[in-house]
Amino acid sequence: MEKSAEGTLGRSASLPLTWPRLGNVIRLCKNKQGMIGLLILLPLVAVALLAPVLPLADPLASNVKAGLHAPALDYPMGTDKIGRDIMSRTISGMQTSLVVGFVVAAITLAGGLLVGTISAYFGGRLDRIIMAIVDVFLSFPSLLLAIALVAIFGAGILPVIVAIAIADLPRSIRLQRSLVLSVKSRPYIDAARMVSAPTHWLMARHIVPNTLAPMLVSASIVAASAILTEASLSFLGLGITPPAPSLGNIIKEGQPYLQEAWWISTFPGLVIFAIAVSLHLIADGIREVMDPRSRQ
Amino acid sequence: MKEYLVKKAWQLIPTVLGVVTLVFIVMRLIPGDATSHMAGDNLSGDALNAMRERMGLDVPIWQQYFNYLLQLVRLDLGTTMVTGQPVAKLILEALPVTFLISVLTVGISCLVAITLGTLAAFTAHKGKKLVDSVLTWITMLVDLMPSFWMALLLMLLFTLTLGWLPATGSIDYGDPLGLLRRIALPLIVLCMGQISTIARITRTSVLEVLNEDYIRTARAFGAPQLLVVFRHALKNAAMPIITVAGLAFGSLMNGTVITEFIFSIPGIGSLLIGGIKMRDYTLVQSVILVYSMLFIVVNMMTDLIYRYMDPRVKY
Repeated sequence: MEKSAEGTLGRSASLPLTWPRLGNVIRLCKNKQGMIGLLILLPLVAVALLAPVLPLADPLASNVKAGLHAPALDYPMGTDKIGRDIMSRTISGMQTSLVVGFVVAAITLAGGLLVGTISAYFGGRLDRIIMAIVDVFLSFPSLLLAIALVAIFGAGILPVIVAIAIADLPRSIRLQRSLVLSVKSRPYIDAARMVSAPTHWLMARHIVPNTLAPMLVSASIVAASAILTEASLSFLGLGITPPAPSLGNIIKEGQPYLQEAWWISTFPGLVIFAIAVSLHLIADGIREVMDPRSRQ
Repeated sequence: MKEYLVKKAWQLIPTVLGVVTLVFIVMRLIPGDATSHMAGDNLSGDALNAMRERMGLDVPIWQQYFNYLLQLVRLDLGTTMVTGQPVAKLILEALPVTFLISVLTVGISCLVAITLGTLAAFTAHKGKKLVDSVLTWITMLVDLMPSFWMALLLMLLFTLTLGWLPATGSIDYGDPLGLLRRIALPLIVLCMGQISTIARITRTSVLEVLNEDYIRTARAFGAPQLLVVFRHALKNAAMPIITVAGLAFGSLMNGTVITEFIFSIPGIGSLLIGGIKMRDYTLVQSVILVYSMLFIVVNMMTDLIYRYMDPRVKY
């Protein structure tokens, strides 16, 4: 603790981060970017949730007579070569994408908070070992790591989630570690320690809440990148494999018919694009609301 | 500087060893060993054992690991499981085109991104919010477009509709113009992925520098506006830009795998996907190792350039 006095002076200028209270949630709704993001994302999530009760065609049912049907009233997004309805396939793929995105974000958020906090708080040998492992994982380009892991775990939604989460977790641990290191030397932590607050209390009550805002920003970006990674893996034929629809593999299936049936690849791509943009806007919104310096 | 280099090289050893170990572990985690995938069901027990022996899979795992390390030290990557060709030869054949595309991407995207970013910062500084926010929004949207989807849309436009650029065909180094046309679309896709990240950091750091006193002084002395921006501001804003450009290399590697696959370019990305599809694990493990070694080297080079360019950073 010898360094704490100097650290406090040096860092007092940096941002005080706040727990997402109701006021912050309201501010997020007033934030223009966050609002646009929510306006794009929420309808998509609603459609994905309501898909079982919506009057949609079976995403796997083929009807060869209606093959490569252009978008029309019967088929709002057209059909593929064997007459499967692209709209219901896209919605089904979107469900997969959203599950992958949110589960991966939850895993990396929880894992990052846990391991990053422990590593930074206790320091010493444990910290060095954890960071050495993290560094090794960060020496792989993330998609390649996910590709290698999917090659082991096999195709399917669960292996894909695990592979992407493992590839994304090290970055999250790193971020949380650096946040805890900067919070750890604040005066209020010293104050809490002075009244002999127990370690778990300190962490849960004073440290983690103050690192949550940047971690939430990072989690929503992780969700977006996980959705893109899943789509890339499925596009490469390694993630979710046909006949189960995924936005990535629908786009892949449309590639040979690009000229005669542009709609097969176009609509699923638009959905991925919309989800990614909305999550980034929400991340920007959270950042602006939580960081008083960027509030204008 | 020399001392620093030596120190840095020493620090790399545990990381490299860790990467090699991780790749080894990952490849051994595959259910069933490699021979069962190769042989299918039609080999008898004896033949399978002979195959294991030939591939060095009959010894204890720690000994396999040790043999693997020795093999790597000799720069021997083994032969592929499916065709029996030397892996190193395949990788060396595939590297040039990937390298060419990567270098061109870095060059072009830095040039475009730094120009756009500086322009955005300059207009923001002048209070012309519109140009700045249009540039910022466009770069964000381009960044978030799935690269394979963008590739297909570009293919639809430039190859199938307009017929300007080819999307398939052989790579012929003897015909530079043809080669350039052949790799134009992959280049556009890869650059789009890089430009936004670099442009964004350029905008932020140039904008910060433009508020410094010495910029105002230079302006007060009557230096032309463009000279001030490009000579004084950009030079002092270069550090974060270099760092981010170096980091962007990781995403560039991810990008090469996808674009090579789509445009069927015989680089190491295609080699990797082909290896996975054929379940050729020696090939896959070597390609991933090559990728991560390149990544480590680029990160170190970024660090060195950073230190070389900024005299304030001590070794």
